[in-house]
Amino acid sequence: MKKKSGPDKRKKVTQYPAKATIRKLPSGVRGLDDILGGGIPEFSFNIIAGAPGSGKTTLAHQIVFANATPRKPALYFTVLGESPIKMLRYQQQYSFFDESKLGKAVRFVNLSDMMLEQDLNAVYDEIEKQVTAANPGVVVVDSFRTVVRKAAAEANEMEVQSFIQRLGQFLTSWEATTFLVGEYDPAEIRDNPLFTVADGLFWLSQATDRNSVLRKLQIIKTRGQESVPGLHTIRISAAGLQAFSRTLGLTGKKTKPVRRRRLSIGIPELDKMMGGGIFEGDSLIVAGPSGTGKSALASQFIAEGLRRGEAGIMAIFEERPQGYTDRAGSFGLNLKTPQEKGKLEILYLRPLDLSVDEMMQELLDAIARVGAKRLVIDSLVGFEMALAPSFREDFRESLYRMIGALTGGGITILSTVEVEDTFTAFSFSNYTISFLTDDIIRLRYVEIDGQIRKVMVVIKMRGGNHSKDIREYIITDKGLVIIRPRFTDYNGLTTGIPQRTGPRKTQVDEAAPEPKARK
Amino acid sequence: MMRDLAERLIAEETRGRKSPEAPHAIALVIDKLRPDLQTLMGNMGYRALLSRALAQASAEFAWLRALHVKSDGSLAGLSQLELESHVDSGMIANGRTALLTRLLESLTTFIGANVTLQLAHNIWPNVLLEDLDSGKGKRK
Repeated sequence: MKKKSGPDKRKKVTQYPAKATIRKLPSGVRGLDDILGGGIPEFSFNIIAGAPGSGKTTLAHQIVFANATPRKPALYFTVLGESPIKMLRYQQQYSFFDESKLGKAVRFVNLSDMMLEQDLNAVYDEIEKQVTAANPGVVVVDSFRTVVRKAAAEANEMEVQSFIQRLGQFLTSWEATTFLVGEYDPAEIRDNPLFTVADGLFWLSQATDRNSVLRKLQIIKTRGQESVPGLHTIRISAAGLQAFSRTLGLTGKKTKPVRRRRLSIGIPELDKMMGGGIFEGDSLIVAGPSGTGKSALASQFIAEGLRRGEAGIMAIFEERPQGYTDRAGSFGLNLKTPQEKGKLEILYLRPLDLSVDEMMQELLDAIARVGAKRLVIDSLVGFEMALAPSFREDFRESLYRMIGALTGGGITILSTVEVEDTFTAFSFSNYTISFLTDDIIRLRYVEIDGQIRKVMVVIKMRGGNHSKDIREYIITDKGLVIIRPRFTDYNGLTTGIPQRTGPRKTQVDEAAPEPKARK
Repeated sequence: MMRDLAERLIAEETRGRKSPEAPHAIALVIDKLRPDLQTLMGNMGYRALLSRALAQASAEFAWLRALHVKSDGSLAGLSQLELESHVDSGMIANGRTALLTRLLESLTTFIGANVTLQLAHNIWPNVLLEDLDSGKGKRK
């Protein structure tokens, strides 16, 4: 029997977390929350800075519309800059704009007249009055730069500093997440006390390079959470701002499966040459000159995956999807039905000034849409060429990050790369991209017995043994077909001009042209 | 659409009043719009908008020429007009509707019909505006 110990004096106590929990607000900007490390810290005091036209006001509006509710409205103070009516005129063009929120959830307060006629104290008092009355969740002051500039001309620096200090303390204490929007120069970061007070610093910039404009975002500072460092591409479209993280939001994704399967590439002899197929989650580069069948091989790789129930994505740059699908059809590969069933997407990406990160994002979105297990990039040269010149220098770095992250997630990638055949060397690609690959297959032309024939060799298979044979293949109405065992009576096949070492065999007349060309 | 809206707002403001046909009915509507529009445009911007609407409407209805916009954005001259009885009530009704219509049309030029209707809805929540919607609005 339990001993009675009198009335239970234990009280129900509310458990509080040992650390303060910082809730994160959605920015309303696609990609930005990932960059910020989850979102905007609630009750933080932030600066959105940048040159005119860099998207500061649009960013502020996206944050406002994403968070404002009638119970916790957003107050948008405008000061000596763009008037609210102009903001409404232009911001309503974006899809995030919701006029039903105006008045109740999103409230504009025009401080221009007050700023012109009175001093900083009056402006502070008005902000305090409005905030106290509305109890907002989000407060924006746009443009804060003009507040300080006008005040600095009339008051001494300490008064301006005091204004900033009071404003920051008041708004944070009132549990408002605040954004001061202003046109600042990067050189000011060190000396302007505003940047010291701020919890978060969003820096927007745009630079012109030749004919293209490059917009960038940098999170210079976020107190209390880890943001993705560096410059991230942003685009302003009908949806407003969209941010493209340097890591493409792929950090922390699951890594390569421990026991990797071998996947058929769709060409049985090639599977054998690769030791049983390509490893799941590998990146394979097929390098060769024009006309050697790289796209045919890529189509066979995707079609084989589809046959086995693995959805796929083909990113093509040099041919239109219809032509690509038709040509695959001439090899007996049906790429049309899987597209209709949502198992395959053929992305034709030839924009003129997209950044590499935006292109990568297109790919990632498509992969997520169809649940792709296989990806074809045909070709890397076309991919690079489709980018605006200013983005090309980032190409390899971004590609490296994307391929690393996708293969880490178990997606198997086949990329083609066009190389120019010379008859003195055997290059794998015109630029150093081999570091992107686990496996390399090289296709090339060779001159034999008065013919230009095609041969292939598996150059590299990371993590597996592979055939060292140089094998001849042709392109038939079944696609790419390996037709004979390795050559044993020639030397110097890799030069393209081999030397016969054995006796000349009787040549069988071949029907010309190749079956593929009859289609 | 804006003429229809103007008529509804004037009807709402004059409902139950002694002399609904009086010129000052327009001031009741405009005075309710004024704070919101001054917030959006600043005092100078609002005065310019109203002055332009007044100039346009005056071209159609001469009696409106007796009015002018004061520095605070309010309409002046209405009291004097009511003392004079040389304008018939039909002209007054049409003139005040024309003035408000021009004002709302100017606003619509800047911010579109949906936002204009939303502003009106915020000020006059009881006035039915849904049937005036351009079809794309999300007003709730």
